[in-house]
Amino acid sequence: MAELLSHVLIAYTIFTLASWYVEWFTKRWVAMGMIGALFPDLSRIGLFVTDATIETMLGVPFNIGAVHTIGGISILAAIGSLVVADHQRTAFAVLVAGGISHLLTDGLKIWADGFASAWLYPLSWYRHPTPGLYISSDYRVLVVVGSVALAVALLDHRVIVDRHTSTDNR
Amino acid sequence: MRTGLRVAVGIVLLFGVVGLCIHYGATYDTNWPHPTGEQLATDYDEYVDDRILLIGEVQSTDPVDETLTIEITDDADEVAAEIEIHDTTAAVEPGGTVQAYGTLQAAETMTATETVVVNHGPTESQYKLAVSVVGILLAIGYFLTQWQLNLQQLTFNQRSTTTEADHNG
Repeated sequence: MAELLSHVLIAYTIFTLASWYVEWFTKRWVAMGMIGALFPDLSRIGLFVTDATIETMLGVPFNIGAVHTIGGISILAAIGSLVVADHQRTAFAVLVAGGISHLLTDGLKIWADGFASAWLYPLSWYRHPTPGLYISSDYRVLVVVGSVALAVALLDHRVIVDRHTSTDNR
Repeated sequence: MRTGLRVAVGIVLLFGVVGLCIHYGATYDTNWPHPTGEQLATDYDEYVDDRILLIGEVQSTDPVDETLTIEITDDADEVAAEIEIHDTTAAVEPGGTVQAYGTLQAAETMTATETVVVNHGPTESQYKLAVSVVGILLAIGYFLTQWQLNLQQLTFNQRSTTTEADHNG
């Protein structure tokens, strides 16, 4: 994984750009997408409870890594969509999209054998070749992602001001 | 959707997550192309001469001999194997994390064709953790500027902000 701040800022950037072109895609959905970008790393619960501990409790094999896949984020998005008062389908879709932005970003990082993780599970165990663009501890990832997100935030502010002005002049 | 029904569906979905993790755990070993810590600990000889991927924490380095020793852990985070990686010039210190891809050999050694330094040292994992906490706080903080918790109904409702009206022109 890249660190979570980069994932959240990437989601912010993508969904804010979407909000410029899709009228109903307001800031609340940008915020929802950023939450979705956190979902795959819920697998980091493994830092606190090992799979072996849960296996002992349940008596069956267990691997929290399933959360860091398309199947895992889809179920988490379904749970997430239950806790919003309305527009549950939109919430589900946006949460999944946020999670996919995370998985796709992770799919670009360097693996020593040249193939990404099997994040398409349970659809497939296929590991696609990775372009190997970065390693997760490289602070330059955050510098680049943070700069782009800041630029988008500033432009977004301007878009809002422009729209406000044009509305006032109507 | 009524609150009771939502809670019930939510519980079913939570079981769904657990079920997915159980299926993933049960099928991982046969679908992941590289041996896990458990497999190395129990059937090491079966993987000798295979090209495999190892991910582990660096215990010691020897830049002169171009070797480093890494610990491979199992599901319980216990040390399952300690492998000496040869032919690597990776710049890493003890406490760092590397991925090594190469041919496994007898006597717990590997000749690496590719080594990737994931963390150069222990401070980098702390950096990732600290920055990740900032990311979580940012996402939740921004979410709470847009959504408001309704404790009675256990739902998040959209906040009525001027931003929404602005954005809709």
